[in-house]
Amino acid sequence: MPHPVDTISSVKLAWAIAWSAFWTGFPFKIIVALLLLTAEIPPWEGAGLVTLLVLSVPVDIWAVGLTARTIFLERLGMQVHGPVGLGLWWQGAALGVVVLGGAYYAVGTTAAVSQKIAAAIIGVIKKIYALPIAEQITLELLIWSVPTAMVILVCLLIWLKLFGWRVKRFVMTKGQTSSESLPERVRQWDYARVPADPTLVLVSIAGVAVVLTVTFWVLLPVTTPHRHPDYPPPPSEAVKKPVKPEEMLKKTETTLAKAEAVLEAVEKEKAKEKKKPTGKGK
Amino acid sequence: MNALLQKVYDFVDERIDLKTLEAKMMREPIKGGSRWAYVFGSCLLFIFIMQAVTGVLLMFYYIPSADHAYASTQFIIHEVDYGWFILSYHFWGSSAMVVMVFAHMSQVFLWGAYKTPREMTWLVGLGLFGIVMAFGFTGYLLPWDQRAYWATTVGVEIMDKTPVVGDFLARFLKGGPTPGQMTLSRFFVIHVMILPAALMGLAGLHLFLFRSAGPAGPFRGTSDELKAKTDFFFPRQVWKDIVAMAAVFLAICSLALIEPVQLLEQATPDPGDYHPEPEWYFLFLFQLLRWKVFSGEFGQFLGAIAIPGAFMLLLVALPFIDRSPERNIFKRPIALLSWAVVTIGILVLTVSAILNREFLD
Repeated sequence: MPHPVDTISSVKLAWAIAWSAFWTGFPFKIIVALLLLTAEIPPWEGAGLVTLLVLSVPVDIWAVGLTARTIFLERLGMQVHGPVGLGLWWQGAALGVVVLGGAYYAVGTTAAVSQKIAAAIIGVIKKIYALPIAEQITLELLIWSVPTAMVILVCLLIWLKLFGWRVKRFVMTKGQTSSESLPERVRQWDYARVPADPTLVLVSIAGVAVVLTVTFWVLLPVTTPHRHPDYPPPPSEAVKKPVKPEEMLKKTETTLAKAEAVLEAVEKEKAKEKKKPTGKGK
Repeated sequence: MNALLQKVYDFVDERIDLKTLEAKMMREPIKGGSRWAYVFGSCLLFIFIMQAVTGVLLMFYYIPSADHAYASTQFIIHEVDYGWFILSYHFWGSSAMVVMVFAHMSQVFLWGAYKTPREMTWLVGLGLFGIVMAFGFTGYLLPWDQRAYWATTVGVEIMDKTPVVGDFLARFLKGGPTPGQMTLSRFFVIHVMILPAALMGLAGLHLFLFRSAGPAGPFRGTSDELKAKTDFFFPRQVWKDIVAMAAVFLAICSLALIEPVQLLEQATPDPGDYHPEPEWYFLFLFQLLRWKVFSGEFGQFLGAIAIPGAFMLLLVALPFIDRSPERNIFKRPIALLSWAVVTIGILVLTVSAILNREFLD
């Protein structure tokens, strides 16, 4: 009797897990991306990208675990006891790094070579026939984008094949065949995804949603960050110092006291001068 | 608190039979269980509601006159608190609606869900597709900048080429020899009154027909498997719909933040340095019309009216031509190939139109 994993191809199994896991994690990642954007930090570069990638790791591990368990039960009739997400995620990520590195060069080279070939073909056609610009653009685009897309597809298939092979190994070594009927297995994977305390989960989700909404509106700029040249920002008014009457009175009193002291000193000086004999006399 | 809520529920239930309504709305069986592939229709409804909400907010400040449309839009962007974000959300929401309509139609086509007994749902859906495109076309003019003015001019010129009704339609929409106050008033009324009413009516009919015929279900699987997986609309499909709506909402917000609406100069009958082009979802047709084969009076008619018209007629006739009960897309090679050719064609021509911008100066 063949093992349940032999009933499905590696590519199909890997695709089922990866595709579902991508969409399972997507809403969480886009929340992070949106909050970064609201704070005017682009999530595609620098600190924004690092934050997004770091926060995506636990989300992906959870999503891979959740979808893999469901697919094992639904398609293979197998259950895995113990953690699934981390074991599959690191293997997928490691293979992804290797395939992505190779794909970077393969796709780049294919695009560069096919663009040169496209330019040469267009050059030849132009010698025979005055090819209008609109047709030239579409033809050139098709000539170089089709092989490039094919290479991308092949790279994706290689990753799926390798990841599927690792998933099969994982489920063969750690999984157990479920003896339940299909309706019972359906019930099992349904219940696997239903939280033990739905009220608590709903309240938590509502709470998180409120916090995120408030954070969003607090961070969002009130006026546009991209102003039209004809609509410059209004000139900022000089900051007026707040009026503190007690301090003002004290300050005035001090100034007056100082002035009085100066006046007194001046008067004394004048009086001294008056007492002094004026000149030597005759 | 629960006792009070129960009392309110009972009060309403006594008067409008809430339990039956709830049973009809939430306890609808979904053959083969809930699926992510079924979320597009709900997402479309959600996007429309959000467009209505943001549209109403914008109407508090927008003035539909040729003298004030541009200034009031700039006022929304530069002076009204969060106005720039609301306007940008509305702008990207319209694009999201077009993308979602395409995704929804693709799913229905690929899953063979237009076949008997769902022909009427498909036909009404095509009507809704037309309304969504009309929403985009009429809304584009309202900011009254050069982009808006010239996109409308190009669109109305294309419409003018339609035999019999083209001239009347173009004159009716423009309300004069060149786009002006009458054009803006008519586009505004169509955008905020006629189209929303038509969309609400047709969407209601679409939902009624969908519920009457029931969901088509997956195209694969034995009857035992489908029976085992059959589930009610609530809670799992509702949950999937909510998650998808949230993702769509967040994606539109992100786009509004990455690329907020920025107006060009105020509309004038002189394009100056600006190269007129329609909205991005009409770019493929615009690029097709640049081909030499579609030049000249007859060529323009062929590219702008005859081919798109024939394509739409083919979509209308589809459930009546394709009468085979086979729904599995992998056993319908012509359907799969046709969908791939149309999708890739639209994609390639749209990218070509963007690349073509470099050669215009």
